[in-house]
Amino acid sequence: MGNITLGRYIPLDSPIHKMDPRAKIVGMLLVLIAIFFPAGWYGYAILFAAVAFCIILAKLSFTFIWKAMRPMLFMLVFLLVINTLFLKTGTPLFTIGSFTMYSDAVFQTLYIAVRLLLMVMITTCLTATTKPLDMTLGIEDLLKPFAKIGVPAHEIAMLISIALRFIPDLIDETQRIIKAQESRGVDLKEGKITERIMAILSLIVPLFVSAFQRAEDLANAMEARGYAPGEKRTRYKVLKMQARDYVLLLICAALLGGMIALSIIL
Amino acid sequence: MPIQFEHVSHTYSTGTPYEYKALYDINLEIEEGKITAIIGMTGSGKSTLVQHLNALLLPEKGTIRILDRTITAGEKPKNLKSLRGDVGLVFQFPEYQLFEETVIKDVAFGPKNFGASEEEAVKKAKHALSMVGLPAETYEKSPLELSGGQKRRAAIAGILAMDPKILVLDEPTAGLDPLGTVSMMSLFSKLNREMGKTVLIVTHDMEQVFKYCDNVVVVENGKIRTHTSVQEFFADSSLCREMNILPPALIRMKDLLKEAGFRIDDNIQDLDRLAYAVARQVKKHG
Repeated sequence: MGNITLGRYIPLDSPIHKMDPRAKIVGMLLVLIAIFFPAGWYGYAILFAAVAFCIILAKLSFTFIWKAMRPMLFMLVFLLVINTLFLKTGTPLFTIGSFTMYSDAVFQTLYIAVRLLLMVMITTCLTATTKPLDMTLGIEDLLKPFAKIGVPAHEIAMLISIALRFIPDLIDETQRIIKAQESRGVDLKEGKITERIMAILSLIVPLFVSAFQRAEDLANAMEARGYAPGEKRTRYKVLKMQARDYVLLLICAALLGGMIALSIIL
Repeated sequence: MPIQFEHVSHTYSTGTPYEYKALYDINLEIEEGKITAIIGMTGSGKSTLVQHLNALLLPEKGTIRILDRTITAGEKPKNLKSLRGDVGLVFQFPEYQLFEETVIKDVAFGPKNFGASEEEAVKKAKHALSMVGLPAETYEKSPLELSGGQKRRAAIAGILAMDPKILVLDEPTAGLDPLGTVSMMSLFSKLNREMGKTVLIVTHDMEQVFKYCDNVVVVENGKIRTHTSVQEFFADSSLCREMNILPPALIRMKDLLKEAGFRIDDNIQDLDRLAYAVARQVKKHG
């Protein structure tokens, strides 16, 4: 489980790490939208430069981004195959037998690849530099205006932070149960279909039982300490926007504006 | 043939920022047919050590010899399944492994995995359940309906039903009530005496070590600090205290009495006889 990089927080000391999570979330959303405007290769070059600069500022390594990107490669190869089979526009590149490869198939795939890469880069920029707890604080604050129309902002944030908090616990628990069942002769890698179904059942049932148990324990512990959803609560950590956060938002908005302008011109 | 560890090391998550060295160059020989206690502080490497016995964890360096099998670092172990059948490992809080609809089915799960037929597995399961003292009316219940102590028994029966030659237990009595603890420990002691099984128990309870075990292995920071007989281990309570281990009540009592000037025979191994010896000396000297 140690090789999952997408979405993991990397504790470093950088200007991006210190920024307000709200500014980072909104900034990311603006750039994500910008990615979807057909601003041509120039537009993508500008976006790529901006996002790469952000990654360097955050002291993240590009091998880390590459690792996060790797699971997507299979999807891209699949896409290339589909595109080559069905996209028959543009200039023919080469012909093998009765089959001709067209330039648009390659360009279309590249286009999507670049978009995906940019999306992975920008989301990594956010998740790797923001503590899960800060992230939920940010989400809660951003959802607050919607509370008036009945969006339970605090509850949603609490749900997210509890879910995030339990991920490592459940991973540990799974590994423990795998070991316990392996000690009883369960073979997860080989065996007949019926045996493998049994093997998977022997993991899932205990995992669910313990997850429900944990949920109940946590609910009781929270109630015992007087937690009531909907009550007004104060916060230990109060978020405060600073000059650099506004600068970030301005740059992101400018990027979005630029992409919109470029896509209209083209 | 004893269980042998030769220069065994183990590291978790090698090559990541979370790398953690749990065992350093372990050399250890555990006698067959005895009850050996493995003690040490939380995080000392006890659990890592015992998980090597049925190859759940493989040594990073070194060799383990167990029941005429050899596990060498860097080699894929052969006959993994038969090893797991011969070395029964009971994890801490094993009640979390219960998953079948009924208790009897869950206990029969192990033997079936090791190739027993349906009837054979059920027969073995019933035998194991009677050994741990679960009443017959619980057999057809869902494991989730049992009490905490009963769940623990059912889970341990699940390992006993495999009829392992070596039984390894990671804190088997943690969280059990005093009566449950005594019956559980007597069961392991009986399995050892009557069926000649080699038993290894990871525990924090020195009273258990003193009363039921033959040998003690002390693990400290991923190394073996001491390996000796229980008698010798508690003969000198200063050694215990040096390792931050509180000796059993009887030993502490003997020490206090000796300090107070009583002559105490070293062979006295239970509180009744100690009390008797003290009473006699008090009477004699008035």
